[in-house]
Amino acid sequence: MIPGICGQGLSFQADGFRLIYLAIAVLMWGVSGVFSREYMAHYEKKGRYYLFFWATFLATAGVFLSADFYTTFIFFEIMSFTSYVWVAFDEKKESLRAAQTYLAVAVIGGMAMLMGLFLLYDLCHSLAFDQVAETAGEILSGAPVSCALGLPGRQLYVAGGLLLFGFGAKAGCFPLHIWLPKAHPVAPAPASALLSGILTKAGVFGVIVVSCRMFAADSSWGLGIVLLGLVTMFLGAFLALFSINLKRILACSSVSQIGFIMTGIGMSVLLRAAGEDGGLAVRGALLHMVNHSLFKLVLFLCAAAVFMNLHQLDLNDIQGFGRKKPFLMFCFLMGALGIGGMPLWSGYVSKTLLHESIVEYTNAVSAGGMASGIIRGVDSWGFWKGAEWIFLVSGGMTVAYMLKLFVALFVERHSVRQAEFDAMSAEYMKTSSKLALAAAAVLLPLLGMTAHKSMDLLADMGQAFFGQAGHRHTIAYFSLENLKGAGISIGIGVLLYLVAVRRPGTSGRRYTDRWLPWLDLENLLYRPLLQVVLPGIGGAVCCFLDRYLVSSVVAVFLSVSAVVCRAMDQMADFVIRTARRSTHSQIPWVADSVRCGRATDGSFSAFGKGISERKRKMSEKAACMKRQLQRNGRLVEESFSFGLMLFAIGLCLTLGYLLLVFVRQ
Amino acid sequence: MDAMGGNINLLLPVALPIAAGASVLLYPGFRRNRRHLLTAVLAALTAEGILVALALGTGGSLFLWQLTDAVVLIFHVDGVSCLFAALTAGVWLLVGIYSVSYMKQEQEEHCFFGFYLIVLGVLIGLDFSGNLITMYVFYELMTLASLPLVLHERTKEAVAAGLKYLFYSVAGAFLALFGIFLLLQICGSVPFTPGGVLAWLPDSGAVAAGTDAVSTKTVDKGLFLAAMFCILVGFGAKAGMFPLHGWLPTAHPVAPAPASAVLSGVITKSGVLAVLRVVYYVAGPDMLRGTWVQQAWILLTLLTVFMGSMLAYKEPVLKKRLAYSTVSQVSYVLFGLSMLQAQAFVGALAHIIFHSLIKNALFLCAGAIIVTAKKKRVAEMIGLGDQMPFLLICYTIVSLALIGIPPTSGFVSKWYLALGALASETGVWAWMGPAVLLVSALLTAGYLLPLTIQGFFPGTDLKRDETGEGGSPCPAAEKVSAWMLAPVFVLTAGALWFGCFPGFLLSMLEKIASGVL
Repeated sequence: MIPGICGQGLSFQADGFRLIYLAIAVLMWGVSGVFSREYMAHYEKKGRYYLFFWATFLATAGVFLSADFYTTFIFFEIMSFTSYVWVAFDEKKESLRAAQTYLAVAVIGGMAMLMGLFLLYDLCHSLAFDQVAETAGEILSGAPVSCALGLPGRQLYVAGGLLLFGFGAKAGCFPLHIWLPKAHPVAPAPASALLSGILTKAGVFGVIVVSCRMFAADSSWGLGIVLLGLVTMFLGAFLALFSINLKRILACSSVSQIGFIMTGIGMSVLLRAAGEDGGLAVRGALLHMVNHSLFKLVLFLCAAAVFMNLHQLDLNDIQGFGRKKPFLMFCFLMGALGIGGMPLWSGYVSKTLLHESIVEYTNAVSAGGMASGIIRGVDSWGFWKGAEWIFLVSGGMTVAYMLKLFVALFVERHSVRQAEFDAMSAEYMKTSSKLALAAAAVLLPLLGMTAHKSMDLLADMGQAFFGQAGHRHTIAYFSLENLKGAGISIGIGVLLYLVAVRRPGTSGRRYTDRWLPWLDLENLLYRPLLQVVLPGIGGAVCCFLDRYLVSSVVAVFLSVSAVVCRAMDQMADFVIRTARRSTHSQIPWVADSVRCGRATDGSFSAFGKGISERKRKMSEKAACMKRQLQRNGRLVEESFSFGLMLFAIGLCLTLGYLLLVFVRQ
Repeated sequence: MDAMGGNINLLLPVALPIAAGASVLLYPGFRRNRRHLLTAVLAALTAEGILVALALGTGGSLFLWQLTDAVVLIFHVDGVSCLFAALTAGVWLLVGIYSVSYMKQEQEEHCFFGFYLIVLGVLIGLDFSGNLITMYVFYELMTLASLPLVLHERTKEAVAAGLKYLFYSVAGAFLALFGIFLLLQICGSVPFTPGGVLAWLPDSGAVAAGTDAVSTKTVDKGLFLAAMFCILVGFGAKAGMFPLHGWLPTAHPVAPAPASAVLSGVITKSGVLAVLRVVYYVAGPDMLRGTWVQQAWILLTLLTVFMGSMLAYKEPVLKKRLAYSTVSQVSYVLFGLSMLQAQAFVGALAHIIFHSLIKNALFLCAGAIIVTAKKKRVAEMIGLGDQMPFLLICYTIVSLALIGIPPTSGFVSKWYLALGALASETGVWAWMGPAVLLVSALLTAGYLLPLTIQGFFPGTDLKRDETGEGGSPCPAAEKVSAWMLAPVFVLTAGALWFGCFPGFLLSMLEKIASGVL
């Protein structure tokens, strides 16, 4: 706990899960760091890469060690921004575009998360995981808590949903998986390994906290997570199957594997909500996280080895590169078998656990008594059987696309450059890189073969973080039942490979991207929405407010007030003019005489037609009379003032005389 | 007229820059010799810093002048004055240092520096004002004194922009003056009191100064609220609040970069200060809570927040973009004040400081880029990372701070603003406010980060062109001088430091907040 930093203070915690992930982070950064030395040798601006490489390491470690959402958020944002540099690193057009997508997802996700944190803090008055879990439990059990939205339950769901949005975006969960298939192929391969292997896990970390702590036993939440997981799992695998770019396949595979993990997390919530023990699902999800980190480390570094030499990633161009390179083949095979769920490799163990958890829940549902009452039909036996099959088919697709990669790289021959490829066999990788890669690759079968020791130990260490108590299942990983599940998956995989990829009938060895290029969620929906529609509408409204509203109000006000003022101005004048003409004329009786004249004129014109023209013009006469009178009046005035002047002069003389007399005396 | 009484230290930081500015304007020696001019200006700014520190340290109040019984000018130093005065003096010094290098390319430097100093004195006076009258006097003076900074280039647009600035400010101030008359009628020229001096009369629904006041005049509730609304909109003009925000995007692009920086970073804040003083120190937050005025105020601020960001996002010219950004960001502060809630209040005050640091840094960066790279539009500013890496790194950090990415300072203030909003009992605004702030943050990322991205990742196409032509993308690029870099660096460091260790500042702000709420 470090108080005071960033206002609220940071708090860290180290428990089993966090230590496991810290160890994995150290391992992954170490291995990729060693590998980067060779990979990055030919690039400019290496300093920039390494700076952000290690900055991201620190931020990621911060996320995994955090003990409250505040700390998580701070390091999460730092991580998002520092890893941006990886994606944009080589400054090609598609890299910049991918980086834009990455940044947009990161910023939007971050803002959604922040809103979620605001609501959560308002609800719980703390963001420490334990405190939040406690309050959330109380709220879900109906305790009244004052909050901004009025209904604490609703606010909790909204907050959880927003947090899920933010963390899920980083994890690559549908429908925010869009950045993964774009960003991974363009980033430097060691960075892709980290993006896929551990940055996505930082998102999963958040999903775990939200799901297993806040909504620890909330069936509707669990169901939502499972549904998202299933869709993500299937969609990712489906995309991977159709892609022909090595790193893109691996990226889509990451999406799919994250789906597996999400399913596990959701199942654990569901199982707990149903009063069962969530142990299987928890351990499955946890181990699959660990496994997936390691798989992707190995696989992306193999891809790095390919890219380093050929600077190409299209399967048609790199076909046959791996021939006569047993070391590369060994490492790739370890990763492929692991992720494909082959017994004795580590992926088998985690997938079996996840599968078992679905089976357990299906059995519980069919046994009845699951009064979760969410959506009728969803909680039925049939639905969960379907979920199980989606799980198995996705597993099968995993096998199929890994098989596709393996065959393309190590079995088939390149039609033109095969000899050139073979000549590279001696020095396609430095020893240091080989050692690093081998160390990671050997871990996978090692873990898988000692499942009861090593993997159970990991699971025991980590499960407390998921809120799982110490109860330990002893699972016969290699029982017939479990081997059957893996067998079905692998069988489906081989079948899918033969049908969908090889396609008996097509003779050529070209791999074609059968995915429709326009069917891209990002280009179809997100970009138009964010770049055109929203700024268009918002911008238009704001422009109106900014430019036209004030100015038009002012213009209207000015013109209206101008008219009104002119009218008022004229009115006063009008009144005065009328008054001067009529009632306030300076010589009222003259005006009256004029009026009399007019009236006489009127009466003459009305009555007498025989009266002569001369007599008719009485008004003119009156006017003449008026002028005469005025002249006379002026004469009188003048004469009066003349008299006054004489009087004044006389007065002055008298006064002067008096003064003279006074002085003489 | 009575003699002045009280702490005379308060007068010095107001008088010194005004005197210095006047002498710079009037004494021809400064016009001829640039070195003397700069020495004098920097000496005055440094001395000002010391005097402000001294004034804040000794505190107290100063009775300045009595015009009539009701019109009294007093200075008084409290927490808010401390905050604003320290900020103003600090920013002024830094921007002054920057101007040493920037103004080299402009005509009539002494004119700029003279008014620059005078505005400083007036602003400090505004920060020290102890009652409404004093504040209003300095407020109007500030508008007039800062006008020459906008007009500096004497071009047709500059004059038009200056006039627009003047009209908007004066219109706003007169709108506010109506409200001030009404307030004076109720409570006379009382000094600013934390928490306000007004109260509802329990029976009649009228407003009076204090509940027990028998002799004072009362005013009808509706009239009082209308007057408050006029004050909010009127002083909001300076703070760039819709509907009187129009002067900002016009005035900023034509003013010299240091002038835009202080206009945007500090002078807009004096509008905020005026609103703050009226609402929290005269009327009292309880008088507005739950009334239509509060609702309308929140609506206007949120509208401004969104509108500013959106228009900035659509604006191609860098300085204009930053101006719209200011429109949006200052309304973050007003939004925090409009919540009438302690936590939001703390967030608002913190955002005043942070936005001031950040926006000054951004404008100074923009100025440096415009001067060295001779580009005005964001789309043209490609590949700057190679030429001015240090400047662009600073730009990036303060951009992230403005977006509110932890661990920078913008995050801390946003945190308090949003939590305060959620805790305030304002119904739908409680959650709508934070949502709008975050959407605006998203847009902020959209309008600030492209410059960074283009700068550091110009793309391979550009490099090919470069090697083809054998020249850099910005051929006239010179090195950015250290005079420009140093203030930018200090501001950036401040924006980062306050984000990581805001404890001291926040505890100070919380103390202010506990006084008024």
